[in-house]
Amino acid sequence: MSPIDYMERTRAFFEARGFPPYRWVVNESAPWTTFKKPLESCRVALLSSGGVYHKDQTPFNPDRDDLTFREIPRDVDVKELRIQHNNYDHRDADQDVNCVFPIERFRELEVEGYIGELAPTSYTLMGRIFRLTALRTELAPQIVQKLKEEQVDVLFAVPA
Amino acid sequence: MGLIVRIAEEAGIPTILVSSARDITESVKPPRAVFVDFPLGHQTGKPFDRALQTSIIKDAFAALKSISEPGTIIDLPYKWTEGDDSWEDEVLQPRQA
Repeated sequence: MSPIDYMERTRAFFEARGFPPYRWVVNESAPWTTFKKPLESCRVALLSSGGVYHKDQTPFNPDRDDLTFREIPRDVDVKELRIQHNNYDHRDADQDVNCVFPIERFRELEVEGYIGELAPTSYTLMGRIFRLTALRTELAPQIVQKLKEEQVDVLFAVPA
Repeated sequence: MGLIVRIAEEAGIPTILVSSARDITESVKPPRAVFVDFPLGHQTGKPFDRALQTSIIKDAFAALKSISEPGTIIDLPYKWTEGDDSWEDEVLQPRQA
């Protein structure tokens, strides 16, 4: 079976709720930074759009257009993480957040020496953002600036 | 999400993305991606299956090292259920909170 047509299904999902059609960006090329540092000496940060937040943080707007993000510290107790997201079935991830935000696996890979280290902070957001200009000019630069401040070598992204 | 990793890459940070929505990833075109054909919500594996989760993550890092053409998506060989794709009929029925 071929991969699911999520774009068509998501358009229908929003249309049925009276929202404007969701439009993905179509890019013909991709930017590039050569990866050359040995992975075992890299500091790696996680980025998830699965709506993961800490129980003491403000939950996301589960609907759409939440332009905020949450900072998740590397040593977080995963039992204190929650998920707020209406556009995928997160019942399994509610039980084991590593399905969409594999922070415990990254801590193990650090111990194993497979990666240099998990960065002090990882980042989570909600996705389903219609305001692409704000995403590009506000949300993304804020996250990138924090990655730079913490001297992150690799960004490992898990979109939801 | 693809847009954010593109901006990170433009800023000099190499990125790797684990997708379960191949069409979206093809369109947005992050610099490097792997595709895991699992139901959304399991991009990095099944719950409490540490070996599977670790294997997917390591495959993604292997792609980070091996991809040399910007916009490449590598299809990983994982199957959600062996010889049975019925899960595809059940997805995108989001549970409303």
